[in-house]
Amino acid sequence: MIEFNSVSKTFQEITNTFPALSDISFAIQKGEAFGVVGESGAGKSTLLRLINALEKPTSGSVDVEGITLSTLENKQLRPLKKRISMVFQQFNLLNNKTVAENVRLPLEIHSHSVHLTVDEALNFVGLEDKKDQYPSQLSGGQKQRVGIARALVTRPDILLCDEPTSALDQSTAEEIVQVLKEAHKAFNMTIVVVTHDLPVVKALCQRVAVLEKGELKTILDVNPSTEPAENKPYHERAIEVLSNG
Amino acid sequence: MVENVRLYLERVAEYLPRMLESLGETGIMLFFAMLAAILLGIPVGTLLYLTSSGRPMEHRLLNRILNAFVNIIRSFPFLLLVVAMQPFIREVYGRATGDPVAASFPMVVIAIALYARFVEQSLNDIPREIIETAQSMGATTWQLVWKFLYVEARSSLIVGFTTAAISFVSYSTIMGVVGGGGIGDFAIRYGYQRYETDIMYTAIVLIILLVELFQWLGLKLAKRLDKR
Ligand SMILES: Nc1ncnc2c1ncn2[C@@H]1O[C@H](COP(=O)(O)OP(=O)(O)O)[C@@H](O)[C@H]1O
Ligand SMILES: [Mg+2]
Repeated sequence: MIEFNSVSKTFQEITNTFPALSDISFAIQKGEAFGVVGESGAGKSTLLRLINALEKPTSGSVDVEGITLSTLENKQLRPLKKRISMVFQQFNLLNNKTVAENVRLPLEIHSHSVHLTVDEALNFVGLEDKKDQYPSQLSGGQKQRVGIARALVTRPDILLCDEPTSALDQSTAEEIVQVLKEAHKAFNMTIVVVTHDLPVVKALCQRVAVLEKGELKTILDVNPSTEPAENKPYHERAIEVLSNG
Repeated sequence: MVENVRLYLERVAEYLPRMLESLGETGIMLFFAMLAAILLGIPVGTLLYLTSSGRPMEHRLLNRILNAFVNIIRSFPFLLLVVAMQPFIREVYGRATGDPVAASFPMVVIAIALYARFVEQSLNDIPREIIETAQSMGATTWQLVWKFLYVEARSSLIVGFTTAAISFVSYSTIMGVVGGGGIGDFAIRYGYQRYETDIMYTAIVLIILLVELFQWLGLKLAKRLDKR
């Protein structure tokens, strides 16, 4: 379980007219697929980065599985970070490492008793034939698949995704959502997805928090989409979006 | 014409042993300078990066000290550095003049300072996202450096090393003032002091070829390792 207790976060900068996060309280259950939506600058990334202690709260506390992160030193945070993986908007792959080397990287950072092999992780995202390529040889969607394989290879308890589809075109974005959805099913982990893209959380998440200017406006239960949009070809979706309404 | 060429070749043949000896002395000085750049310049440059503000090992005092060292050495006119180091070299090595090993001491100092700055700049060019990715994985600073920073910066580290090495060649040419020898000293002695202009130009061409060789090797290796 991930718990936010009256969390506020202010960055020391003159230009900010409002705190990045103010007085946020909510909980994410174990195994849940949880979304956080909001416009650019709403504080989504900051919220996500509090969960793996890349940021520290200005006040309040973030508890992960009963442990208050702010009480831990960097060294004590390592065992926790070992079980949390992150997927990034810009993929954040190492350009000088091959696909397989990128996916293997988290296994070199910590020793894991239970983990996927690099091949299993690449199989899962459908990139087994690309293992010896370099990121510059891949498309955006393929890069994000590598990013997901790298996140999954450690069999994390928590998967954090920061705008995982925002650098991709729509149909690729939908493919990535499907991969994440399958990962959630297959690996029984908590997923937290942060995005400004509403269809992504609608397709992927059970509950969604809405952030606005650093404030938590509401938490919604998501009605699953009846018709998976990803099955429709691009031109049909274009007609649907452009001609209706 | 043919006669001139024959005469020239004869003179080169006559001076060749001395020229090769000088090249060997240059080699010794460059060897120590490059070794120091790698063994000490890289750690100093990495520490400069890691201890600067907003970086993973932020430490104002250490950063100031390292910066001061690098700046002072680099702004020191090299000839003065050579002279200023004489007492120190005599103390630790026994003699300060007359051999290329003694002459390597100032080369080592300038090599560390010069390459440390290149290393710092290469690391500064790595995108923030890469550091953040390492931190999100819970990587130690050691892991960050070896598994992320050096991997992503490797070709720019090599380009910087090439540029530094070419400067080392230039610095080595004035070590004649303390009897360090080297191909630069050879050119000065035969060309400037003895008016053997043809021999001087031959030595200068050798120096240019050496620089070109470094440049070629460095860029080739950097390109091979760059997968961006
Ligand atoms: N490291 C930082 N330093 C200063 N201000 C920051 C920093 N990170 C985020 N902010 C500010 O906090 C607010 C929320 O940012 P962020 O969490 O990135 O929003 P989102 O991800 O929803 O776009 C923004 O106003 C942003 O400028
Ligand atoms: Mg963001």
